[in-house]
Amino acid sequence: MTAWTLFLIVLCECASIAGQIFFKHAMTEHWSKSRRKAAWILSAGIGAMAVNFFIWLSLLANFELSRLYPFEGLNRVVLLCAAAIFLREKIPPQLWIGVVLISAGVALVFVS
Amino acid sequence: MNQEPAGLALKCATAFAHPILQLALSILLSAAAQVLLKLGAPPSGGEGWLGLGGLASAWTWLGILALIGSLFSWLYALRFVALSVAFTLAGAVHALVPLASWLVLGESISSRRWLGILLVIAGVLISAKPATAVEEKL
Repeated sequence: MTAWTLFLIVLCECASIAGQIFFKHAMTEHWSKSRRKAAWILSAGIGAMAVNFFIWLSLLANFELSRLYPFEGLNRVVLLCAAAIFLREKIPPQLWIGVVLISAGVALVFVS
Repeated sequence: MNQEPAGLALKCATAFAHPILQLALSILLSAAAQVLLKLGAPPSGGEGWLGLGGLASAWTWLGILALIGSLFSWLYALRFVALSVAFTLAGAVHALVPLASWLVLGESISSRRWLGILLVIAGVLISAKPATAVEEKL
């Protein structure tokens, strides 16, 4: 796995997290005030998801799913951090425990 | 007396609009979509790496509809549920897809994979507690 591949994986995960943050931001901050602004931010979210999708396809073409999927597990933990930082969500301790179990489970499901 | 059916319809509509129900619907639809897309995919490859051969199958189109429905339920649920909670609960997809592949597609599941599925379910159940707290705030 080269530095370039690692860069692509990080970019792919960042795009998916950015997409979710855009979605949440559009639905909570803008939906009730300005549908037009919400639509713009939702489009940005869909754009980020599209970037995530095509990079993921190109990664899948070159690597086995079981090598790539553990990053999907890691992604869930990073998303919690991003939600805490950018959306100022308070993360209850159960959620941290839950996400660690889920990530470990995802890794086991796809490595075997 | 005519009010009763209308009242019932309203009750059903209110229950359907419940954010936690919509979140569950979104998660179920996205898991169902994976199975439907697999059912529609031409056996081993088909034409081209994009797998466009699957577009000939009604299963594939049902899968695409399920994905679109899942996105709408997800966005609706996000209006009320914290992203951290919703996204963590959506981890259930990683248990539902292997389970559905086993039940519907007849794929086999190794013992290590069963353990992974159990871990995911445990994680989702633990994370569901904060979701009920979110519900109270509505």
